[in-house]
Amino acid sequence: MTTVMNHKNPTASHRPIMERLNVVTALALGVAGAVISYYLAQKFLPENTEGSVMKTRHDQVVLIGMIGWFIGFMTGIGALVGPFRWLMGKDLSHDENMYLAGKNAGISRYFRYTTDHKVVGIQYLVITMVIFGVGGILAMLIRTNLGHAEGGWLHPQAYNAVVGIHGIIMIVGTIIMVTGPFGNFIMPIMIGARDMAFPRLNALSFWLIVAALAPILSSFFLGGITTGWSAYNPLASQSPAGMDGYIMFICIFAISTMVAGANITTTVVRMRAKGMTWTRTPIFIYGTVASVALALPAFPVFFLSQIMSGMDRALGTTFYDTRGGGSGWLYENLFWLMGHPEVYVILIPAVAALMEMAPVFTRRPLFSFKIAVMGIAGICGLSILVWAHHMYMTGWAPLLNAPFMLTTELISIPTGMLFLVLVGTVWRGRLWMTVPTASIFALLLNFMIGGITGIYLSDVPADAALHGSMFVTAHFHYTLMGAGLTGAIAALIFWFPKMTGRMIDKQLSWISFWLVQIGFNVAFMGMFMVGLAGQPRRVEAYAELFIRGNQITTGAAFVIMTGMLVLLWAVIYSWRHGQKAPMNPWQSKTLEWTVPNPVPLENFETLPIVTSDPYGYGKAQS
Amino acid sequence: MSDLQTKKPQWWKSKDVQVTAGLWVVFSALIAVIGGEVNARPMGEPASETMANTIHIMRMFTWVSAPVAGLVAAIAAKALMQKMHFGDNPPPEADHQISDSPKATALWLVVSALLCLFALIFGMVVLQKDNNTLLDVHAADINVTGQQWAWNFDYADSGNFQSADLYLPVNQPVHFHVTSLDVVHSFWIVQMGIKVDANPGYITETAVTPTKIGVYDLRCAELCGLLHAYMQKKVHVVSQQDYNNWVTSHGGTI
Amino acid sequence: MSTQVNAHHEHPDVVGSRNKLGVVLILVADIAFALSVLFVYFYLKQQDVGGMWLPRASEGQAATVPANAMGAWYLTLLAGLGLLVNNYALRGARTKNPTQINLGLGAGALISIVLFVYQIIQMRQVEFTVTWGAYASCYFLITGLSALHFFITAFIGIGNWNRGRLGLYSNDFWHIDIANVWWIWMVVSSLLGAFALSNS
Repeated sequence: MTTVMNHKNPTASHRPIMERLNVVTALALGVAGAVISYYLAQKFLPENTEGSVMKTRHDQVVLIGMIGWFIGFMTGIGALVGPFRWLMGKDLSHDENMYLAGKNAGISRYFRYTTDHKVVGIQYLVITMVIFGVGGILAMLIRTNLGHAEGGWLHPQAYNAVVGIHGIIMIVGTIIMVTGPFGNFIMPIMIGARDMAFPRLNALSFWLIVAALAPILSSFFLGGITTGWSAYNPLASQSPAGMDGYIMFICIFAISTMVAGANITTTVVRMRAKGMTWTRTPIFIYGTVASVALALPAFPVFFLSQIMSGMDRALGTTFYDTRGGGSGWLYENLFWLMGHPEVYVILIPAVAALMEMAPVFTRRPLFSFKIAVMGIAGICGLSILVWAHHMYMTGWAPLLNAPFMLTTELISIPTGMLFLVLVGTVWRGRLWMTVPTASIFALLLNFMIGGITGIYLSDVPADAALHGSMFVTAHFHYTLMGAGLTGAIAALIFWFPKMTGRMIDKQLSWISFWLVQIGFNVAFMGMFMVGLAGQPRRVEAYAELFIRGNQITTGAAFVIMTGMLVLLWAVIYSWRHGQKAPMNPWQSKTLEWTVPNPVPLENFETLPIVTSDPYGYGKAQS
Repeated sequence: MSDLQTKKPQWWKSKDVQVTAGLWVVFSALIAVIGGEVNARPMGEPASETMANTIHIMRMFTWVSAPVAGLVAAIAAKALMQKMHFGDNPPPEADHQISDSPKATALWLVVSALLCLFALIFGMVVLQKDNNTLLDVHAADINVTGQQWAWNFDYADSGNFQSADLYLPVNQPVHFHVTSLDVVHSFWIVQMGIKVDANPGYITETAVTPTKIGVYDLRCAELCGLLHAYMQKKVHVVSQQDYNNWVTSHGGTI
Repeated sequence: MSTQVNAHHEHPDVVGSRNKLGVVLILVADIAFALSVLFVYFYLKQQDVGGMWLPRASEGQAATVPANAMGAWYLTLLAGLGLLVNNYALRGARTKNPTQINLGLGAGALISIVLFVYQIIQMRQVEFTVTWGAYASCYFLITGLSALHFFITAFIGIGNWNRGRLGLYSNDFWHIDIANVWWIWMVVSSLLGAFALSNS
């Protein structure tokens, strides 16, 4: 089949616009947009005038160039087709929608604005791997520099840029690592739907991330950023134009998150199969929805903080400049209002995925589904009330330290519920040993350490010793990486057969698991030690007494790297040559395992009708 | 639906529960002791009561968390002690499992809430103690100014003389008023366990009573640009006599 | 193949109601954004760091005098009018009255354009520039974001009017219903902005 269009307009004798747009046109128009805007801005913007404290023409030009890239790229990928067809009253026809869904399109559909949630899921998987690859390289640069006490392997300015960009890239990577690939590919099938509520928004949320990568990666060529991933003002205003790349990255990613949040939530709320009441909805679905629903109100606050940062840099506003009535505390409040819910946005889907896998590999029901839901809900609810525990030491409101200590320590209770569910599920279960199974135990270890170190940090007096030290860095790596990434990798291995039709090579994934877990624990335990001994964060050189701890961490980092490379190889190799997967290799009871490999375009022949929850292992009937 | 109530009337007598209970005791003890040491050792000798309290509170929290961590470890270990099935097909489905136990859940919640409450109260008490130093009217006042990338001290009670060095008399409370000339820094005296950010446009406060003569580390604890790693200074805690000599030799008044 | 859960086979009410939920969720994000803007405004006002919320006169620059907030209230009223005419169009759609639909949607499109242009005009009329301290920064943040809101409103307004006159709303008029939700938010967000600017 060549074109699928019904040419209603007789004068359109060649291919319609929609069929010509893909990642190549997106890149071309993006580059063109950037170059033209940059050139026009350079030529026509007035010179700096007196009276502005911090604004620079250079930032204006760079930001305009990046906006030009953004508009060009999104036009070139076809994101504007939908809105303009709507405006003109010429809604897309059935054939056009089938074209967008990638019907009969082969591999080319992965390189254009495809609406099929399964395509978007794979696209998210690939982009997540790219993001982790870049972030991982930056991590190795950091650890190599920190292998010597006197630093100097990287110039301090380059080091700060590497640290900051490593951080923000990894944060974005961990936000999307479960809800992106599996929230998109698996979730609709798991709830018994044919696609998501808003397929075009699905494609949009993915391509926005691709568009966003250019600004952040260009940061390195624009002088880098002076701040860590938290981009504190007023330090950020001193940063070279790389900061504008950071700002654009966040602004674009914020739109992607918002769109994905609306899409995923509406899909789950409105499109579950007949009979799938809320008590029969798998726990992974709860985790996914909770995460994106929490991000919906939280991320815009970060978005605003960056817009204001950009305005300070480019327009001379004084939101964060105390010389002009601004306040650094304003920035910190806005940032952490997002920053704390954000870590649960990252963590909850990973833990929910492992909770989904636990019954499968122990062949018994999930322990107390209700408690699992309550735990997730409790964490989400409380997470909005704890943000200023990141600000105990700022001096912004000493009287508020105690109330925030209260809310922060309270959050350990719903968190504990998730532990209860997991240990309850492995109790008196079988033990089908796979990497996902082992990951459950790894999560219990890593999350316990991450959680308890969080309790220390939540205590104001202890925080006076620990804040701003490597102890904090180790704590959040234990929670986001030790717990979060472990869950995400397990999810990948678990759902790989459904997404690619093949099993991931067992041996390679076991090797990767052990290398990563052992390397991780050695590396970050060492980091706790130097933090306790007094090494600050974000330093490229340190006192002699911290040498041994740093060398241990650096050495172990290479072990993690090896493990991740083995995993990467396993994914690539298995995708092409792996053992062909049966329809339900894990004999799991959730709906995604009832469809064949490869999954047909519209998922189900006939939509399923659900009569029970999917955890009926070991009972008379499921 | 609890299988235990119908099939095993005395749940504490079943073998796996007893093994787990034993593991629980062992793990909790190990975690409490080793965890406590692992936290305390790198922090070194405290140079103030504030730091001593902090080391103590972390040890307390470790002991309080140990039973929870120990239980998780015990159940996990017990689960791992059974026959492991490898291979492409799942083992037979489990029996004798509990899919819900309101009692266990209630117990877990109550205990974790109590532990949380304990941590909270303990923390508040220590916080109050630290705040009291701030309120001490006999405390000497030192104005601290951070800037990229150095610290400056203005000894307000000694005639406002300026110095780039920080000398403190032992066993005397001192009250720091901290600000910044440019970006956010953080004033951290490591061994004394005190820290407060230095913000441009604001003055923030912290206070401490050094309890040991010696040389300690002041480090900037908030990334402040290019040379953040080098924004450090030694803090000298000396006897009252030595302190007076140092002050007068630098043009200050006692 | 089942006729369920396939956008081009599903009952319009199902699709429309679902789309409405999606819009509401996006508005949740926008509401959080707007509340944060209010937080920025009132926090900086309360802090008045260095007395620079409304800087006094200095060399070469007059004192910053807050803008007259009445302009913001006029915009709020106009947005209210837009909501009313959209409601009128919606009722016309329910009673299958094409004249009423076209009238209501046409008026709505017109009002949305006026809102956008008037907002820009107000921004250009103030005596201070964007660099004149914290209040000025907040003023341009609020009005700039408001202009963006009205731009989107104009897109929706013009689109709906065009689709209305093409007869697309003779049976299924969910888009007008959803536009109602958007207009309500335009009124509320304008109100929030006007409230802030009245308390300078």
